[in-house]
Amino acid sequence: MEKKSIWKRIADSREASLVIVLILLCAAVSIRNPAFMTLSNLEEILKNNAVTMILALGMLCVLLIGGIDISIASTLAFTGMSVGLLFKYGYMGSTLLGFLLALVIGAVCGFIIGLVIGKGKVTPIIATMGFMYIYRGLAYVIGNSQWAGADALGDFKNFALGKYLGFGVINNVIMVTVICYIIFFFVMKWTKFGRNIYAVGSNEEAAAISGINVSRVKIAVYTIMGLLSGLCGALATTVYASAQPDMQTGKEMDVIAACVIGGVSMSGGKGSVGGALLGSLILAVIAKALPLVGINSLAQNTVKGVLIVVVIILNVITKRVMDKSALERREM
Amino acid sequence: MAGKSGRTISATPENVWKKQIFSWEGILVVIFLAVIVLCKLLSPNYTFVNVLREMPKYLTEIFLLFPMAYILMLGEIDISVGSIVCLSATAGCLISNAGVPFGAAAVLTLLVGAACGAVNGLILVKFPELPSMIITLGTQIVFRGIAEIVLGSGGSVSPTNMDGYRMIAGKIGPFPYIFFLVIISAVIFAVVSAKMKYGRSLYAIGSNRRTAFYSGIRVNKVIFIAYTLMGLFAGIAGLFLTSATYAANTTTGKGFEMDAIAMAVFGGIATTGGKGRMVGGVISAFIIICLRIGLGQINMNSQLILVIIGILLICAVLLPNITGSLRLKKRD
Amino acid sequence: MSEYVLELKGITKIFPGVKALNQVRFQLRPGEVHALMGENGAGKSTFIKVITGVHRPEEGEIFLEGRKVEFKGPRDAQAAGIAAVYQHPTSYPDLTVTENIFMNHEIKKRGMIQWKEMNREAQKYLDQLDADFKSTAEMGTLSVAQQQMVEIAKAVSTHAKIVILDEPTAALTANESEKLYRIVDKLKDEGVSIIFISHRFEDMYRLATRVTVFRDSQYIGTYEVDKITNADLIRQMVGREISDLYPKPEVKFGKELFRIERFTRTGYFKDVSISVKAGEIVGLTGLVGAGRTEVMEAVCGITGFDEGRVFLEGKEMRIKNPTDAGAAGIILLPEDRQKTGLIMSWGLGRNVTLPILDKFIHKGLIDEKEERSLAKQLLEDVDTKAVTVFDPASSLSGGNQQKVVVAKALAQDNMKVVIMDEPTKGVDVGAKAEIYQIMGELAQKGYAIIMISSEMPEIIGMCDRVYVMCSGRVTGELPRAELAQEKILEYAMEKSAGKEATA
Repeated sequence: MEKKSIWKRIADSREASLVIVLILLCAAVSIRNPAFMTLSNLEEILKNNAVTMILALGMLCVLLIGGIDISIASTLAFTGMSVGLLFKYGYMGSTLLGFLLALVIGAVCGFIIGLVIGKGKVTPIIATMGFMYIYRGLAYVIGNSQWAGADALGDFKNFALGKYLGFGVINNVIMVTVICYIIFFFVMKWTKFGRNIYAVGSNEEAAAISGINVSRVKIAVYTIMGLLSGLCGALATTVYASAQPDMQTGKEMDVIAACVIGGVSMSGGKGSVGGALLGSLILAVIAKALPLVGINSLAQNTVKGVLIVVVIILNVITKRVMDKSALERREM
Repeated sequence: MAGKSGRTISATPENVWKKQIFSWEGILVVIFLAVIVLCKLLSPNYTFVNVLREMPKYLTEIFLLFPMAYILMLGEIDISVGSIVCLSATAGCLISNAGVPFGAAAVLTLLVGAACGAVNGLILVKFPELPSMIITLGTQIVFRGIAEIVLGSGGSVSPTNMDGYRMIAGKIGPFPYIFFLVIISAVIFAVVSAKMKYGRSLYAIGSNRRTAFYSGIRVNKVIFIAYTLMGLFAGIAGLFLTSATYAANTTTGKGFEMDAIAMAVFGGIATTGGKGRMVGGVISAFIIICLRIGLGQINMNSQLILVIIGILLICAVLLPNITGSLRLKKRD
Repeated sequence: MSEYVLELKGITKIFPGVKALNQVRFQLRPGEVHALMGENGAGKSTFIKVITGVHRPEEGEIFLEGRKVEFKGPRDAQAAGIAAVYQHPTSYPDLTVTENIFMNHEIKKRGMIQWKEMNREAQKYLDQLDADFKSTAEMGTLSVAQQQMVEIAKAVSTHAKIVILDEPTAALTANESEKLYRIVDKLKDEGVSIIFISHRFEDMYRLATRVTVFRDSQYIGTYEVDKITNADLIRQMVGREISDLYPKPEVKFGKELFRIERFTRTGYFKDVSISVKAGEIVGLTGLVGAGRTEVMEAVCGITGFDEGRVFLEGKEMRIKNPTDAGAAGIILLPEDRQKTGLIMSWGLGRNVTLPILDKFIHKGLIDEKEERSLAKQLLEDVDTKAVTVFDPASSLSGGNQQKVVVAKALAQDNMKVVIMDEPTKGVDVGAKAEIYQIMGELAQKGYAIIMISSEMPEIIGMCDRVYVMCSGRVTGELPRAELAQEKILEYAMEKSAGKEATA
């Protein structure tokens, strides 16, 4: 077998082309506005997009097993509100406890969804749609439609300002994101559980025959998704220094879009942690760059939407062109 | 031809009535009656006239149910309809404010909706590799984004001349016009899907797209028509929504797509395609509306109502799966 | 030590409504290749799934080397040294070959997967089998034959004592089959016992020492391969006598009905010209992947083509999609009944009438009564084994499904040209004969018939003329008098012999 040239490898690798897109994007924006490439600006971008970046990890797993989860923003709001209200009414004061509780609530929410999908055999889009209503509704109901403001949160909101997790250099929120990515990179590539996720997504029937407990993998994946949503509920509460029942509505679409741009297949089996990272970074940079290059903030959503459509259509077209040229080379 | 064994194959359906009564639609009728009785017990104001009076506000969403049911039968999905409602309502207000007579403005509203739907349909037909979920996720952002741009910083518009909008909100006796329009549309959509070639084609494509194509069904045409209809009816919903709320803003129609999908799924129309009947969708829509009105009358928190609807939805899809697997176990 | 490595006694498996296995027994000697034969639906696949622990039988006992065992799941069977290579490769197309081989028995150190070591080990297994691809290749990019090799490597990697091969040659060319035979021989020499399921008698004669026959979910008997004749075996499998498998009628040809000229689609086929007369059965053969199906799908408007012209009754036609083809009377019976031939969840009646709905439409509405009675008529004409027109297509056996596909084609009464793509693939012997019968009757009625097939006996038995394709080109055309297996193979492999050496 002949060795592939380095250029061909880059063209073949989804991640490499995404890195190039990201670099070009950053370069273009910096030329227009040098303020973009400053450390403080980059920190700001990462901090404000930590929620999308972390949720993209969970969504990666969900999409890999051929599922989808549109309830994540509701789970996030429900946990955010639960934690926020506990602080507000003085039942809790410790930041650590706040985070732990958020993780537990989120995981339980996700586990229930996992049961309905894994054991109840309900299609993921419908199950998560139902829970989207349920958890969002609960977020309103538990606080009687009230919200927890900055003064109610006490120490908890300072977490997003501190740098103690990042050895005094890196912001805590960014550090949490980095840790999540390291863990996932490791789990998805090097552990049996990670590979089982790929196996189930690639061929569910075969996975069952080779002895993988498919419904258990599904339940685990949705539980992880819930766990991360819970974590993000707590993170969003500290970053924006408030917890509201309608927080992060529609976030699920951003997260799915980030994954898709990052090359994660909606039909399962294909996608990587690197892709999820690059996809969410590209979305984040675009959102930040538009005002910097003088595009009216009103037009931001349109540009974002058009970009998503164009990117996925371009993907299909390049694939078609590549297939065509491969066919032309075929000897007749 | 062959046929030498003289074997005969029966072509007469058996137990037609029994099958109708024990079908999912039969169960839905029972649930519908139960909901009416329950609401009647809970609220003394739950009279026929009162329910009809509150209905127009909810009826607009049923317009989305009809074509959404078709799209689900095809095995596709459209999550951009909420945004099409927003864009067409916005366009309608702006056109009418520009001095165009109401009749023409109304037609243009519908055309804007149909055009948006046609864009979705066109992309899907040209790029069959792409899942409809992703395409409509992109256009969801784009269509609302365009509305955001044209609405400008105020984010909202009201028709200066309300006469036309007031006119279509009128009534015959206790029945609002929209009620008749919904019923007529329901009958047409039900007959087309159950008795006509287009309906049979929908089910064929939803059950097995490739077989349908090989059998000479014009798959692309059927899909394109379904999405254009979806846009058209989103336009109708936008028109009536404006007449009910006297305004269009950037959040108009948000989440409508999920409500429409929920109604269809609760009505037995599976998102996997090829299953369910229009009748079920319509009954389930009225169940949800009557329940909402009833619970609203006893001042139940509107978010709690959403939780209840979410739970109902999950149970509705979970129930057949659970009883099915129990039946299998019993036979073993 | 027992005489048998594997012995099953009185196995009964019940699915809702059907007894899939009824008091079945089976004995496997150490180091033997044991063929398992029977018509489709005889219960072979279910039986295999009982051995591999996928299904748990309601009754019966399983003995491994004389010890009674009970498999709670596929894991238990794997641990006991049983590996199966299923009919459709149960692979993970998005993962690498290494991962496919080591799925669920990964090499780990402290919970971490050892990629380097796994890749090296996998390569070792592949080299043993003379594979022509790397262990780091993505499974989805391999050919079916290569994927099968991976499946076998997987069985070897688990150090299985018993390997089950479920129709391994169904998708392979003659060359590839020969390679598979050598691998099986090699495994046998290493002391592995092999259970071999196949419809091809060649496979059985080449490999097996004993053969067990199932029919209608029951055990019929076990025979020494060199002591049973072909005809006897068929009688055991079918339960009745089949006098003439290829009932080819004498037909006087009419004038040329259908012709394609210089059909070309970049990368798939080039300069393909074919013509058929009324009443003629023309074969289109060649190795899998030679472009036979692709040409015919382009003719019927399913895919596009770059160059070429189609003539029907001397008139040039423009066919852009299957609807046009159907309207012109060119009817394709696709190879894959489940994916492109039928809608499996639908009743038979609706399947048959799908292409001809316009016939029953009065004032825009479908007259379902009329629709059902025509469907009933057509299904009875082809002698489908079914109770009502509402039976779902998925409830029928492969042969009967194929008959429904035929009925669906017959429904289109403007039909002139019939293109049958592998009409007997996965069809049992009994139904095969009936399909040939129908094909002969169609020829007598003056239709032009094109049959795409890889099976030499049916090409030679049924065709008046044969086109042979190789790598996208027509390499030979043979009249009935000159049809011989060696000659066809020679044309079919014209260039591929040289090609395989460099691949």
